[in-house]
Amino acid sequence: MAGGRLQTYDPAGDNVRRFLELLAGRLTRPLTVSLTACVHCGLCAESCHYFLARPDDPTMTPVWKADQIRKVFKRHIDWTGRILPWWVKAGSVHDDEDLNRLKNIVFGSCSACRRCTYNCPMGVDTGLLVRFTRGLLTELGVVPEGVFNVSRDQWETGNQMAVSEQDYLETLEWMRDEVRAELGDDKVDIPIDRPDCDILYTINPREIKFDPRPIAQAAKIFHVAGESWTLPRWGWDQTNFGLFSGDDRLGAWVARNVYEAAERLRAKRIVISECGHGYRSTRWEGYTWAGFDQRVPTESVVVTLKRHLDQGRISVDPSRNAEGVTFHDSCNIARSGDLVEEPRDVLRRVCSDFREMTPNRRENYCCTGGGGLLSMAEYRPLRLEVAKIKAEQLRATGAKYVCTMCHNCIDGLNDVIKHYKLPMKVVQVLELVSKALVLPEKGGRG
Amino acid sequence: MSDMLRLIENEVQLAALAFLGLVYIVRLIWIFRFASRKERTFAAGSQGAGIRRSLANIAMPWAMESTRKDPWLYAQFVVFHLGVAAAIAATFIIPYAPHVFEIRAVVLLFQAVIGAAFLAGVLRLVRRLVNPVLRLISSADDYVSLVLMILFFAAGFLAVPNDIDRAEWPLIAFFGLTAFFLVYVPFSKISHYLYYPFTRFYLGRTLGHRGAIPQGTRPMSPGKDNERTSRPKGDPR
Ligand code: SF4
Ligand code: SF4
Ligand code: SF4
Repeated sequence: MAGGRLQTYDPAGDNVRRFLELLAGRLTRPLTVSLTACVHCGLCAESCHYFLARPDDPTMTPVWKADQIRKVFKRHIDWTGRILPWWVKAGSVHDDEDLNRLKNIVFGSCSACRRCTYNCPMGVDTGLLVRFTRGLLTELGVVPEGVFNVSRDQWETGNQMAVSEQDYLETLEWMRDEVRAELGDDKVDIPIDRPDCDILYTINPREIKFDPRPIAQAAKIFHVAGESWTLPRWGWDQTNFGLFSGDDRLGAWVARNVYEAAERLRAKRIVISECGHGYRSTRWEGYTWAGFDQRVPTESVVVTLKRHLDQGRISVDPSRNAEGVTFHDSCNIARSGDLVEEPRDVLRRVCSDFREMTPNRRENYCCTGGGGLLSMAEYRPLRLEVAKIKAEQLRATGAKYVCTMCHNCIDGLNDVIKHYKLPMKVVQVLELVSKALVLPEKGGRG
Repeated sequence: MSDMLRLIENEVQLAALAFLGLVYIVRLIWIFRFASRKERTFAAGSQGAGIRRSLANIAMPWAMESTRKDPWLYAQFVVFHLGVAAAIAATFIIPYAPHVFEIRAVVLLFQAVIGAAFLAGVLRLVRRLVNPVLRLISSADDYVSLVLMILFFAAGFLAVPNDIDRAEWPLIAFFGLTAFFLVYVPFSKISHYLYYPFTRFYLGRTLGHRGAIPQGTRPMSPGKDNERTSRPKGDPR
């Protein structure tokens, strides 16, 4: 496995020098131009839920946050700042305290949701800059404790919740038995490591550790749809803490585990269970991190469900989801990925009262738990304070359910709902489809 | 025309322009020294469409919430940059096609555009001084660049009638400022127009490839691209 690759903080180390070396060594062209192009127009300010919730605090604006790394770039890499630093507000990091301050900004006051990126006239990608800075600090071990712990678990066990293989297999068996009992059909299976399937299904460890119902829901639907599928024994975690910590090596290793599982089992397609950052990591970023050319289609389970509906492989009754449902677009899927209309298409078919929240799609506000913030207890008070923007947006829908295709958003939204006492529940697409699923007559398919 | 004005309109301008060009070439080489990553995923959209859409963003105020919510700011931006274009055009028209400014309507048009840009510049300066966010993030370069632009517009407004018989000083001031600009710009934020195509290209390429932009033009998956199953050469399966 991957022991020893996680960096720990060394208080006696020359961390500042190392930080500056990493900064100089890791810059890519897209990062460099995002660092040079900002014109300080301030237009991005009101796109950020942190600043919207704290309008009197300019340090909550995307531009100020990005400027904290930009000024170091200007001082050490760019031209004018190296000669006349005060002219362009260039500055450096001088000690570990400065690194720690930077850590609190990039981990604590930004969920890397990229909403500001879409609102910058210059095309400055502040979300990318924040992730880049996180990566530099992660390399020095200057990270929130939660980020360190989850990264360590993922490095050591191949999944971010340190689920043991035994727990994994037993939970899958348990869910298989549940579906068998529900359908009264002993042929239902949750296959492990079955070669030559159409689908390699990958999941979020939260589904093993805290809420395995989505596995059962997927198994039920796949069974009814006559899907040929399997989970891998190794390489099943589609989540990727490397996205949050900025650690491309962790990102590469975790994503490669999934891609290699698909190769090993000769699966024709990788399907990712409902997870925002998992989808972004496995579908998009992971191939780049891992230097791995994509060979099989890689899709969200929501797209798989849409295909089942399109092809008439499953039938649904929307009246079974009669109460108001709204949809929360996960930033990692909508702004850093492609799926916006697909979940809506499925929801409109399985719910009888679907309502949009405002704003929606690529303009939606983050659930506030993104960027790994749910694992960083020290920033929870600020996270919940700025969640008032999300709370107002949810409340205005008047819906009973907020649906999201992201496990992280479930926890983020649940926190918002609890803190702001909203009369709502969080659901996922799989749950609603499973509820609306019309089971075929006994003796029919499945 | 005095020798000084002739010199400043011609040789000085050309030398300053050559300097700007040279620095920009070095700057571009510097930018290209940083690597850009190879895309390894199947497309869900189109890189070309994403790049085109991203580059066109500047002319699509409705596409961003930030400009949609504040059309007044966007209008200032347009007026300001039209003024920049007009003033730069004037620096070439005056020495190389002076007959253009013999047409009174053209002079008035240029003065209207540059004058409006001057006002937009003043409004931008006030905003930068008053808005706490802008005050916190602004550097000396941000202020000086803006003040210089305002002065440039003022000088341009007075210079475009190109009436040397009346007074040469507006032209000397205008061309003096232009020469100073050409030397200063590569080291200041005013060079953002050099970076715009880059930031927009990379953002558009990534988001276009993923089908995130242009919005609403991608067929819903399972569509053609997402269904692609062709494998690269050498793949055993
Ligand atoms: S909108 Fe873009 S250019 Fe303007 S301040 Fe924000 S990041 Fe900088
Ligand atoms: S990425 Fe999101 S949270 Fe971070 S600064 Fe931008 S808008 Fe705010
Ligand atoms: S948790 Fe969900 S909404 Fe929140 S940042 Fe992640 S994907 Fe976005």
